[in-house]
Amino acid sequence: MGGQGVERREILRYIGIAAVAASFPGFSKWVFACPMDHPPSPAAPAPANSYQPLFFSAQQFRMVEHFAEMIIPEDDTPGARQAGVAEFIDFMVANRVPVSGSRDIRSTADAIAAGSELQTRFLAGLDWMNARSQSEFQKAFLDCTPDQQNSLVEELAYKTKFTPTTESGRAFFQLIRDYTVVGYYTTKIGLQSLGYPGLRQVWPKMPGCPHPDDPEHLKLREPSSSDSATQTHS
Amino acid sequence: MKILCEAGLQVCAVNSGPRIDPDVDYRGHRQVYDLKYRGYGDPVRLKGKAHQEPYSVEESEYSEGRDLFEHDVAYSNAPGTDWYWKRCKATGGKANFWGRSSARFGDIDFKAADLDGFGENWPVDYAEIAPWFSKAERYMGVASTIQNRPSNPDGEYLPPIPLRCIDYIIQKGSEKIGVPYLPDRCAQLTVAHNEHPACHYCGNCSRGCDVGSFFSPTWFTIPEAEATKNLTLLTNALVRSVLVDVNGRARGVAYVDRKSKREVEVYGKVVVLAASCVETAHIMLNSKSRHWPTGIANSSGELGKNLCEHLYGNPGYGYLPQLLGQPATPDNIADSTVAWMPRWQNVKNPHEEKFIRGYSVYMGGGCGDFPGYYGQLEGFGSKFKRDIKRYYPTTIGALIQAPTLPSPNNYVDIDPEKKDIFGIPQLRFHFQWGQNELLMWEHSKQVMIDLFKAMGGELWGAGEEPDRPGTSLHETGVCRFGNDPKRYVTNKWAQTHDVPNLYICDASIFPNCTDKTTTMPIVAFTMRTCDHMLDNFKKSVHVRA
Repeated sequence: MGGQGVERREILRYIGIAAVAASFPGFSKWVFACPMDHPPSPAAPAPANSYQPLFFSAQQFRMVEHFAEMIIPEDDTPGARQAGVAEFIDFMVANRVPVSGSRDIRSTADAIAAGSELQTRFLAGLDWMNARSQSEFQKAFLDCTPDQQNSLVEELAYKTKFTPTTESGRAFFQLIRDYTVVGYYTTKIGLQSLGYPGLRQVWPKMPGCPHPDDPEHLKLREPSSSDSATQTHS
Repeated sequence: MKILCEAGLQVCAVNSGPRIDPDVDYRGHRQVYDLKYRGYGDPVRLKGKAHQEPYSVEESEYSEGRDLFEHDVAYSNAPGTDWYWKRCKATGGKANFWGRSSARFGDIDFKAADLDGFGENWPVDYAEIAPWFSKAERYMGVASTIQNRPSNPDGEYLPPIPLRCIDYIIQKGSEKIGVPYLPDRCAQLTVAHNEHPACHYCGNCSRGCDVGSFFSPTWFTIPEAEATKNLTLLTNALVRSVLVDVNGRARGVAYVDRKSKREVEVYGKVVVLAASCVETAHIMLNSKSRHWPTGIANSSGELGKNLCEHLYGNPGYGYLPQLLGQPATPDNIADSTVAWMPRWQNVKNPHEEKFIRGYSVYMGGGCGDFPGYYGQLEGFGSKFKRDIKRYYPTTIGALIQAPTLPSPNNYVDIDPEKKDIFGIPQLRFHFQWGQNELLMWEHSKQVMIDLFKAMGGELWGAGEEPDRPGTSLHETGVCRFGNDPKRYVTNKWAQTHDVPNLYICDASIFPNCTDKTTTMPIVAFTMRTCDHMLDNFKKSVHVRA
């Protein structure tokens, strides 16, 4: 007899992703759909100094690592560096795993094409950033001051600061932001920072809503977000 | 299979793929960070396979290269058709990974033709089927509440899964726009049931349950059938056709042993096909003989016709500002629908909308295992990171489940040229969405706009297009049941009109799909068919081996 409804399940499980996928070229079904024949890799990332990048040059890798930490910095919870996000990006790009992109992947050939395109986009994007910092500040991106780096990224990250001729830089920023967010929130560190309930695998029962006397949830107050509000980039 | 074994019949179950062993095949509570590719998997893992699309979330890096899903047997799409045929070949098939929504069909479904004049009634009515729904629910265990909905007959239920914050907010908003939002009928064991343990809420149901806390063949029917010692279970045996005797009756099946690639025959007094709807039609269409030149039991010419499916899509997604910044709540530990919008359109009057029949909507959201909404949040840095956490409990999205109407343009047949790697002629799909279901899709998008407004939510957007046909895995039709042998493949007992010892136990007999899912009804109708078959053994219509 046939069982049904798995796709419904998929959408419910990943409703956020399913929802956003429509408007944002971040995820495709492939994301959740690829078994492997390899044992799991060790969870702990190697210390940054000893890591040998698989795809990027040492210089490019430092830049990726710096970018990732700018996107998800250490504050009251660990940041991208501690979560090993740069190693994740290097590994995924080297293995041509399409984490970002709107391509419809239906075959191995599609996946390889998408993965190869992403490799090219990463290299071109890092070059673009250096070219931009040269033209703005006459320095390579990593040699710029933190303020200069922020201003270079802000014009790619915020609609109000967009300038003409930076379209390819903006596309690169989206790309590296996708990989960074995926790399961070698929680690224990990242999931713990959200309070992801699934880290616990056995519950005596499903607790349900803690405020059933306020079904519309109009009385809830947002907790103060003063904590670690110091180093914002906006 | 279980019922027939328990009645003392000798049953040979011929299964297309390997046996599922939950200890080996299921994920065993691994987290995404335990996986080398963080769940994305090796992009070249299916290189060289005939069919390289993944099954669904069930087939993932979590299943570690286990061979549960079909990638060797290709199929064809006619020009203009984009059917996504996902197949689980392992023992028990898709029912090991199903979504567990288990609403009863009602007379609003069985007698829809009387109400709106389209198509034909089912050959059964609710009074006749209700006891079988009860049996299926008692056997499987379904959690829900009594709701007195005209479109959704109530059944026999375990305690419901409790509503979450998002559910209460959606429910209040729905009330304001006259849409029901009620606990789903969910075949998930909220309490221990028939010696199956209560759910432990690890949240991994879709990857197969490690302890059997929801109905699946692996944990329910197969071990129970085996316990009778009347079952012979063949694995990796891909059935290609039904064999017939000199009178055109079924005398067994021919299968290809996937490992040796040899063809083997198995004989029996009665043949039951339960190959998951379209594959059942595929086998029958490939069962050509002197008696059955266009496929076995196809004197009506209806075999493969009237393929129906649920249109799936996301008609709206966004967030609930009421919940911004709240601490994470365990919203998805049941990995399930909690509540849904059972069909409310065309209930009082079958023609109140521009479309006929009706659809249902599932809602999901809350704290999940990846903040997929981050694309909606601008920027970078600590503010961005805090925003991701701030929105974590707030995001919700919808899924429409809209039935297609039977159409002469939607059917399967045998590809005249292509054969799969075992030399079996391939199945070919012909399918397009029809206007009725597309009107429902547009309607549901407007409902979401109204709902988000009513509940104080912010709508981010909606899917531009419905999902590809085949996505829902709810195909029905292709071997419809009905009383007239000239127009239907089987009778009301799912026994083929032409070949009395050939039965069908899957959703292919359902003449159309409803707004409800099919698994629980398949179990109920299968129980009924088995009962009828046993009766036929008693009456010596069939003779024991």
